[in-house]
This record gives sequence, structure tokens and C-alpha cells, in this order.
Amino acid sequence: MDLTPAPVERTPVDLPPPRLGVLSRLAPDPVRLVLNWGRRYSLWVFNFGLACCAIEFIASSMAKHDFIRLGVIPFAPGPRQADLMVVSGTVSDKMAPAIKRLYEQMPEPKYVISFGSCANCGGPYWDSYCVTKGVDQIVPVDVYVPGCPPRPEALLQGILKLQERIAVENPAARYARKLPAAALGRPLVAPPTPPAGDAR
Amino acid sequence: MKGLAKGLAVTLKTLTKRSVTQSYPEVLPELPPRSRGVIALFEENCTVCMLCARECPDWCIYIDSHKEVVPAREPGARDRTRNVLDRFAIDYALCMYCGICVEVCPFDALFWSPEFEYATDDILELTHEKDKLREWMWTVPPPPALDEHAEDPKELIQARKAVEKAEKAAAAARAAAAKAEENP
Repeated sequence: MDLTPAPVERTPVDLPPPRLGVLSRLAPDPVRLVLNWGRRYSLWVFNFGLACCAIEFIASSMAKHDFIRLGVIPFAPGPRQADLMVVSGTVSDKMAPAIKRLYEQMPEPKYVISFGSCANCGGPYWDSYCVTKGVDQIVPVDVYVPGCPPRPEALLQGILKLQERIAVENPAARYARKLPAAALGRPLVAPPTPPAGDAR
Repeated sequence: MKGLAKGLAVTLKTLTKRSVTQSYPEVLPELPPRSRGVIALFEENCTVCMLCARECPDWCIYIDSHKEVVPAREPGARDRTRNVLDRFAIDYALCMYCGICVEVCPFDALFWSPEFEYATDDILELTHEKDKLREWMWTVPPPPALDEHAEDPKELIQARKAVEKAEKAAAAARAAAAKAEENP
């Protein structure tokens, strides 16, 4: 007896890129200010904890550091209700599609904090065959928090940095991003110029 | 009912205690002096021996240097060469904060500092050059005090010896001068 149902042919559908209506682009500055102020202080956070950095994230949500003071609410039931994703830990290639998928489930406007060396650019696993070298290869990252693992205070500072960014953002600039996250957004780093009279 | 009373008792107990929450952005936290916040560079001590760059498990230290010729002091002597540091950068996005570079540095040029406020929105800005690393040197806490009855640090002993020697020489010179005055 064949228990597996016959596979249904499904063709993938290209969804339109997220964009805001014409009205929001024409929104006057005071409205923008109010919107940004609201977004800034009600960041429902969704912790993508993958390694030891997640423990530091939990520490900063607990009584001693308590980031609810800054308006970061760690009770989002899932990515569909979250505004901010904190990727804390080693992103393996096996986990990368899941991160991409959950990121795409989050409603706009959405922000990502990359927490710790592993999520920033691979960290100690910079030469590994199975670790993604930075979560910014799969999703756009807003703030990078350095550390291995970073202190809870460092996450608080990262959140402050993100709030500063949200305060000055405007929708037109935010949704003008055309390049995918993995594409090179800038030219390669130039080597430093040797000092004059350097005979090496 | 019993559970409710128990819960209320806990609430009452914590109600009388002070809150443990640190108000970070307003009040800077008092971190322990051995916190691994950031690695600071004391540039004057660096001799470009490259030990830190070679021992770094992540290869996150970038060093560029060149040699300079120091001309001989006396005629007939040999010219000496000296290493000059051009670039010293640490990629804090990659650094795993193991502290091996701080431990292997034979000339005490690298130190741990509890500074932690350097999150950025651009990953390239996490590669900090030597100017910034030198600035962080000001945030390095003083070294821990020595044990009781411990031998004084080498620098202190040397300084004391130098002072004693100078005093002895001065006394000898004074004695010689006095002798010369007595019987010219």
C-alpha cells in the first residue's frame, strides 16, 4: 500500500517585492516622525538563537539588563508578529534557508541585528566547510554587534544604535534597496598605500 | 489558595528589595577589570615581531611594516635597522576574543580593555586601525596589585639601583672636592 500521496505539481510564483503605497512616500515629515518614533520604541524581537550568544541575549532580556526598558519586547509569538530579528550564533549552511524563510515571514518594516562574531562573518569558523560566513550573506543586516560572545551591554548598545537609525529613516530610502543581500554593494577593499620612500 | 498566598509572599519579599536592573544608557556599567571588551594596542611597545598575527587562530590581525636604517653612531661601526609599524588593524567582526595575542606579546603591547560600545551598521567599520586601538589604551585598567611580600617589579628595582648608584657617585665627588679644598 502506498501511503505517500502522489506529488502535486506546483510551480513557484514570484511574489512582488514589498513596497509601500504612493501615499506613504508623500507622507509629510511630521507623520514620518511619529511613525519612526512608534517603530523605534516598540521593537517586538524574535531571537534566532543558534549558539552560546543566545545565552547572552537571554541574559540581556532578564532582570539585570532588561531591554524592555528600551522598548524591545521579547515576547513575539513568532516571526510573523516580530519587527526585529536578532541572529545570535553560528549560522550553518543547513540553517541558512530557515533563517531566510523566517526573515521573509516577518512583516515590513523589519530589522536584523547580527549578534556575535559567528553571525557577523563566521568568527572562529571562518575556514569551516559548513558555516555561512556571516548572516549578511542571506539577509540584510542593520547593526553588527562585535564580541564572542558580546556582553549583554553590547547588545543594548547595538539596540540603541538601531533605534538611532530608525529615527532618521524614511521609507523611500529604505525600500530603494535593489541589490540582493549577497551582492557586492561596494568595490573591493583597496590595499593601504605604502609610505613615501618605502623600499621594501 | 495556598499557592496564591505563596506567590504574594514572594511579591512582598521582592517589593521591599531594591531593583537589580542597571540603567545602562544613562549609567555606564562597572565592569570587572579583566573583562574582555576590546583589545587595545600600546603602539610604542610594538616591535612588529608578528607573533600576535601568527598566533591568532582567526588571522584577524593585519600588520604592515617597513625597515628603516639607523646610521651608525661611530665611524667604522655597522648601520642598524629598525622596524617601523605602518598598519596594525584588528578585525573585530572576526576576532574570537581568545586573548592569545595578548598572552604571546613579548613586549606588552596588547592589553584587554573593558570597552564594549563599538557596534556599527557597516561590517567594514569593525576593522579598527591602530589609531583607534591606541585610543582604547586609555581605557585599560591598571594591572592588579602584587601579592603581599612579593618582590618589587623589575622596573622599580632597576630605578632604585640607579638612584643609589647616582647618590654614591655624588658622595664620592663631594668627598674628592672636600679633600682637594683641604690640601690644595
